[in-house]
Amino acid sequence: MMSMQMSEADSVVKVAEWQQTYYASDSGIQSGATTARDDESSTEYSGSKKYTSSTATCTANAPTASTAGGGGDTAAGGPDSPTDLEAQYSLTRAQRVRAAMFPETLVEGEAAMPVQSDSSQQSNVQRLAEPSQLLKTAIVHLINYQDDAELATRAVPELTKLLADEDPVVVNKAAMIVNQLTRKEASRRVLVQSPAMVGAVVRAMTTAADMETARCAASVLHSLSHQREGLMAIFKSGGIPALVRMLSSPVESVLFYAITTLHNLLLHQEGAKMAVRLADGLQRMVPLLKKSNPKFLAITTDCLQLLSYGNQESKLIILANGGPEGLVFIMRNYNYEKLLWTTSRVLKVLSVCPSNKPAIVEAGGMQALGQHLTGSSQRLIQNCLWTLRNLSDAATKQEGLDGLLQILVTQLGSDDVNMLTCATGILSNLTCNNSRNKTLVTQYGGVEALIHAVLRAGEKEDVAEPAICALRHLTSRHQDAELAQNAVRLHYGIPAVVKLLGQPHYWPVVKATVGLIRNLALCPANQAPLREAGAIPRLVNLLLKAHQDTQRHASSAQQTYQDGVRMEEIVEGCTGALHILARDPINRGEIASMQTIPLFVQLLYSYVENVKRVSAGVLCELALDKQSAELIDAEGASAPLMELLHSNNEGIATYAAAVLFRISEDKSSDYRKRVSVELTHSLFKHDPAAWEMAHTAVALEPTYLPDDGAYPPYGYADLTLDTLPLDPDIHETYIPDMTYDPRQAYPEPL
Amino acid sequence: MNREEAPGKSQEDMYIQQKVRVLLMLKKMGSNLTPSEETFLRNYAGVVHSQMSQLPQHNIEQGAEDVVMAFSRSETEDRRQ
Repeated sequence: MMSMQMSEADSVVKVAEWQQTYYASDSGIQSGATTARDDESSTEYSGSKKYTSSTATCTANAPTASTAGGGGDTAAGGPDSPTDLEAQYSLTRAQRVRAAMFPETLVEGEAAMPVQSDSSQQSNVQRLAEPSQLLKTAIVHLINYQDDAELATRAVPELTKLLADEDPVVVNKAAMIVNQLTRKEASRRVLVQSPAMVGAVVRAMTTAADMETARCAASVLHSLSHQREGLMAIFKSGGIPALVRMLSSPVESVLFYAITTLHNLLLHQEGAKMAVRLADGLQRMVPLLKKSNPKFLAITTDCLQLLSYGNQESKLIILANGGPEGLVFIMRNYNYEKLLWTTSRVLKVLSVCPSNKPAIVEAGGMQALGQHLTGSSQRLIQNCLWTLRNLSDAATKQEGLDGLLQILVTQLGSDDVNMLTCATGILSNLTCNNSRNKTLVTQYGGVEALIHAVLRAGEKEDVAEPAICALRHLTSRHQDAELAQNAVRLHYGIPAVVKLLGQPHYWPVVKATVGLIRNLALCPANQAPLREAGAIPRLVNLLLKAHQDTQRHASSAQQTYQDGVRMEEIVEGCTGALHILARDPINRGEIASMQTIPLFVQLLYSYVENVKRVSAGVLCELALDKQSAELIDAEGASAPLMELLHSNNEGIATYAAAVLFRISEDKSSDYRKRVSVELTHSLFKHDPAAWEMAHTAVALEPTYLPDDGAYPPYGYADLTLDTLPLDPDIHETYIPDMTYDPRQAYPEPL
Repeated sequence: MNREEAPGKSQEDMYIQQKVRVLLMLKKMGSNLTPSEETFLRNYAGVVHSQMSQLPQHNIEQGAEDVVMAFSRSETEDRRQ
């Protein structure tokens, strides 16, 4: 009570001050005069400019009971004397206001307004409320004089002071009044032009002792944030850190005003993004993703998008605060289209961040985004697709993507190039090294759909390349690989695929196509169709072109790329495809007839392990024909082949040995012995019996046996030969150095 | 290292053993054999049987491993509606 009395005393002082500057006329509460004002958008006040008429009735009414207390001179003390009333009515409205504001300017005959003095019969509450009513009334009257800038200007500094008052009641009332002022354009304009006022509102919001004041102040800032000047004023008055602090408020309306105001600032105020970031805005916003109001969430997620687009640090902060989980939760549990769209935009922004990507995938992002690919909102579908595409290379081990894969296969029928680009890209990555996904996609009719996508893609590499890669994945290393290889032929895909080897060459597509052709050739039924489509001459010509290119740049240290592909990769791919094509006797003959043997022998000297492998492989097939075997020998293949017997790569050594056996058929037994001894010291060096044989064998070449009786190390890694039985199954349990992995030879990622 | 003399294996035997191994591995890798090589393997059925257990269990000739495509190199431009 003591504090109440203290503030009451201060309030009384303030009342007195106000009464000196403003007219102490009837507030309208006692007399029934309306507190109407000119309202364009007012919700609290009803009616229109009825001031004149309302005052006419003031004398007729007895003082009405009101918790707000009495106004001016019509307190419970009784009605005015006839003289006073007559004086009142003798002045025009303008004169009355002027009298209140500028008493020194009164002309003769005008009376100053009587001052309310009898306060003894007022309640404490009434007395406390009195100054606010006076204030309110005064401002109401001011508002009616829109063209009187001076009046409005005088109110603002006063209100500014009151907003900084020690008395929270005063601050509260002042805040309420300012809030009302913002509803009207004219007064709002005056407010935004006062940095002191806006700053006072910001401070009042931050230091508010009660929620109502904070709410009012936040509402003021929210109103001001719809105009450019208002945004600038808020920004310059330190509004952003204050608003960010309000994001921790337990009051929903404060939260709403704060996030909406911040949203407006982020959208339209230069410098706002940086200021929000500096004020730890992201750390406060991400936890708000747990709220349940969809419209609130839509604004919050849009703020996150604005802050994180192009800003790596922001993305990491969102990640650190559980952003991916919160966003995925929204995608999974809400139906409000705008919210889903804004959330998908944040996920899209985060999906290019290498740290956020795995977190989004782990939180079930792929499945959640996949839920929204069949709705009616095109913008949502497209955003989800782009995001899925970005995430897909991190999702190759995810389970539960059956539904998504099926939808994507369906989308391959679309004519929308964006949709095709995304669907092919996602499928390509999700079938990468994932035998289950490969089988599923094959079963869903993916082969046929991909072929149609290739045909429709034309020159669009963003569609063709991933589509061909996906087909390449589907045609190897899973239980339905053979099914897929046949399906390509059955759906007339072979001519379309071979055509992609033609000019103009877009090398990533060429590289993918060559790999696909190799896989297709694994199926014996495809050998003839591939030949008939002209695959062999195209592959040979590409090989020659690529090889010439590598020779041209052999001397320079710099590695050259064309469209991001090295020509060594094309050499390797083409030779690999020809290797498998050469399993067919007619194809074999065609390959040999194109004078390819000298080139293949030359490739045995390549520094690229995989090139050595595929060239030894193709020579091994070609050497099945006697004539070709002789040609191979004539090209001096023995020497490099003997070297290759020592390769760490078991496949290379085997091919080399096979070629040597085949070209040594008609040779002397000495030659065969030499091969055998060489094999003993290489491919079979772990075979104890062979090793022993080497000891006791007649030394054919001094270099193969040491002089001092001890066997020096040959300087290459041990070969391990498993002792388990022959297993024809195709599994992906590979010893890395045993697989044909193009990445092995290249230090840079492909 | 055991340096004692191996019991009764000639150079020719060694050659045969090695050739059998190589041809079996070729078959496992999906390559073709000549008719005479097929005959050769049939002739040395006994050797073949013992050699089978010596072969690596994994299928070597599977071709290149799949490689992912990295799409998230940059953010796509985002037009606000």
